[in-house]
Amino acid sequence: MLLWPSQISVTTFHPKSLRAGVLNSVRMGETGKRRNFAIWLGLLLTLLGPLSSGLVFIGFPAEPIPWIGLALPTIGVVFVLIGLWRAFARSEIYRGKIAGSIVAVLSLLLLAASVAFFRAVRHIPPQSAGTPKVGQQVADFTLPDSNGHPVSLMQLFSASASNPTPKAVLLVFYRGYW
Amino acid sequence: MRGIERELPEFKAQGIVPVAISVDAPGTSEKLRGAKGYTFLFLSDPKAEVIRRYEILHAAGGPDGQDISRPAEFLVDRSGTVRWENFTEDVRVRPRAEQLLAAARAIP
Repeated sequence: MLLWPSQISVTTFHPKSLRAGVLNSVRMGETGKRRNFAIWLGLLLTLLGPLSSGLVFIGFPAEPIPWIGLALPTIGVVFVLIGLWRAFARSEIYRGKIAGSIVAVLSLLLLAASVAFFRAVRHIPPQSAGTPKVGQQVADFTLPDSNGHPVSLMQLFSASASNPTPKAVLLVFYRGYW
Repeated sequence: MRGIERELPEFKAQGIVPVAISVDAPGTSEKLRGAKGYTFLFLSDPKAEVIRRYEILHAAGGPDGQDISRPAEFLVDRSGTVRWENFTEDVRVRPRAEQLLAAARAIP
């Protein structure tokens, strides 16, 4: 025998209780309280921050948005704090008192590490007034190459058999100690 | 520097010789070249003499307080004149190879 939905609702149970039952099974764990997703979303965001900041050091192209590694953990900590507030102030509805506390400490440490990292990568002294400007001449210099052979700047402009005379040398100064 | 290595043929076509300079000893640079597959020239300035002359020294900026170079790029033409330069405020943010090539193309 076929039962129409309207008949079910009338004869067996109220539709509201059906919906509540489905929601319960999704949102609530064994304790009968809602899962506190804000905590876990927050933790994920705080983890993504350092991850995105470090990508450039493991071979990814240069950081396109330098402050993203700071923004993500900051937003993450906000979510964790929302989750923590839910766990304690609305503990009759939400779970996560213990997990929330642990995650809160962890996310704050991650945020602190992200801030320290951000300061470190941007810790470059102010530009000196004596740095050669565009249009200024620089003196020749001689330094050893990676095989120890001395090479002078002006020597690099000499034409070789395979190459015509170069028009410019691109000096890329880098920090070293990689 | 990965970008420079990738675009080496284009740099060559533009008549640009890329040179990397740091305080690393020649052996250290050679190791880096080998590990990363860089084939362009690396020069060593362990006493930061040239780095000091360019006034781009980052005093005590190394991992153990060593004097190092701040990241910087200069395009120097045949007459020794600086044609383009770039400084960064974040060691992770370096000019892309395309930017360097664009600056190189602007030199007649």
